[in-house]
Amino acid sequence: MRQILLITDGCSNVGVSPVVAAAHAQSEGITVNVVGVLDQDEAEDYGAPEIHEIARAGGGLSRMVSLRELARTVQMMTRKTVMHTIQSAVNKELQQVFGTASIEELPPDKRGEVVRVIDELGETSPLQVALLIDTSASMKSKMKAVEEAIQDLMLSLQARQGSSRISVFRFPGSRHGAECAQVLEWTDSAAGLPSLFAKITMQGTTPTGPAIMHVIDFYREDKYGRDNREETDGMRSGNVG
Amino acid sequence: MATSVEPRLANGAIIVGKWKGHRYRIERLLGEGANGRVYLVERDRVRYAFKVGSDAVDLQSEVNVLQSLALRQQGEESFLVDVDDYVGEDGREHPFYVMRYVRGLMLADYLHKEGAEWFPLVGYHLLGKLAGLHASGWVFGDLKLENVLVGDYGRAQLVDYGGVTAIGKSVRQFTEIYDRGYWSAGSRTADPQYDLFSYAVLCVQLFEGKRLAELTRTLLPQNRVAEELMKLIQGNASLRPYAGWLRKALQGGHADSREAAAAWQRLAHRPGRRRRTAAPRWMRRLLLASAVLFAVSVIWLIRTGL
Repeated sequence: MRQILLITDGCSNVGVSPVVAAAHAQSEGITVNVVGVLDQDEAEDYGAPEIHEIARAGGGLSRMVSLRELARTVQMMTRKTVMHTIQSAVNKELQQVFGTASIEELPPDKRGEVVRVIDELGETSPLQVALLIDTSASMKSKMKAVEEAIQDLMLSLQARQGSSRISVFRFPGSRHGAECAQVLEWTDSAAGLPSLFAKITMQGTTPTGPAIMHVIDFYREDKYGRDNREETDGMRSGNVG
Repeated sequence: MATSVEPRLANGAIIVGKWKGHRYRIERLLGEGANGRVYLVERDRVRYAFKVGSDAVDLQSEVNVLQSLALRQQGEESFLVDVDDYVGEDGREHPFYVMRYVRGLMLADYLHKEGAEWFPLVGYHLLGKLAGLHASGWVFGDLKLENVLVGDYGRAQLVDYGGVTAIGKSVRQFTEIYDRGYWSAGSRTADPQYDLFSYAVLCVQLFEGKRLAELTRTLLPQNRVAEELMKLIQGNASLRPYAGWLRKALQGGHADSREAAAAWQRLAHRPGRRRRTAAPRWMRRLLLASAVLFAVSVIWLIRTGL
């Protein structure tokens, strides 16, 4: 299972549309979730429509939240997406085996067993989450909360029985025009997490679309990602039906 | 994320199960959890709690837990009464399940109404419920004030099984301030100690709710440690007798939840425990009033020239 979790506070303004980029991700089997961070005093969420659009194209969830809710939202979104991914895979199997399109069409007493399998796979399937963090100037005051949310997510993922890794990317990448840069390599421990963004200079543009494309490329080249996907597929056909 | 986009069912609405055909009449909304709404309903003159979810998988997970509990805890009256779907006015199908209705008050309301002296006993009952779950291989997960109902004579009952998790897996659902991970005091892997930690926070929430809220607002994440909770416990007269027990719970030191419950009970029964609690406020006021009255009458006596 592969996810991209985008944390941003505004509209993209450079390069390819993030909605197109998210659709690309979805076509590669990567789900894109988006959290929009609101300022405390910012009642108006002008970035909201784009955020919801990106998530819809990426097959994921979206939500506008205040900083206080950030950690909880990131954690719950990731969890829900894991369950949805497993569920849609199971739904496909159901179609083949029973000719029913979804779990809801099964009588309640048959549902129990299927849901047990979903719960089990949700807990044990390998999971990768690439966190894509907007570090444009307006996010500066929010980075502490973002770091905290990443730390909190790691704590939740470590409790899973299956292997879970996260990697952190930021955009824009640097002063020299890079759209996106990896700031934390794939890891399954919280060790390197503190002060991820301490040394970073925050600057103006928001190349959300190009950054998503960058992470897709990264996934594509990543050996772990492919291995994990095969493993998940194998488990699916082995356990369901 | 309470993604409950379900339309609320109106009082008096009739719901007919799609698969089994039972008829339920909605009396009123009882509460709202993360995975759905719970209504008080009536079927054949018996009242039940009726839970409607927006997600069939989430709801079925809860049903699975309740069913496995029913299997393990034979002898006890079954909690789960019916599982079915109904077709809403919007034409969509909604999954629901029906439980025995437990009449009771929220824990804080109960202690407010019946008096704080019920706290040790209610706590003991609650610990007993948790120990029962643990013995069946489950952890409650989302233990918090809102999820405890208290019936007659302090009998506590756990409600909302959305967070119940098999021991060894990752806790399905939790609330930040009750979460061991949030206080940097351990993992989010479900084990009996996870519930006992939440139980300790629940005690703090009961007696020092304001200070606890203040703490979560002001503490930096790196300073969010169980020791801060201990300070609140030490500073509260109702909690202080339990400080040792609570410290152990916050540090994951209770090896077994049955034993933990027994230890709690011993504390509650400890002889000679400060019975000489301060006199109730009304008594103190009465005393003050009579003293004033006495003084006034003495002055009056003197004035009126003996």
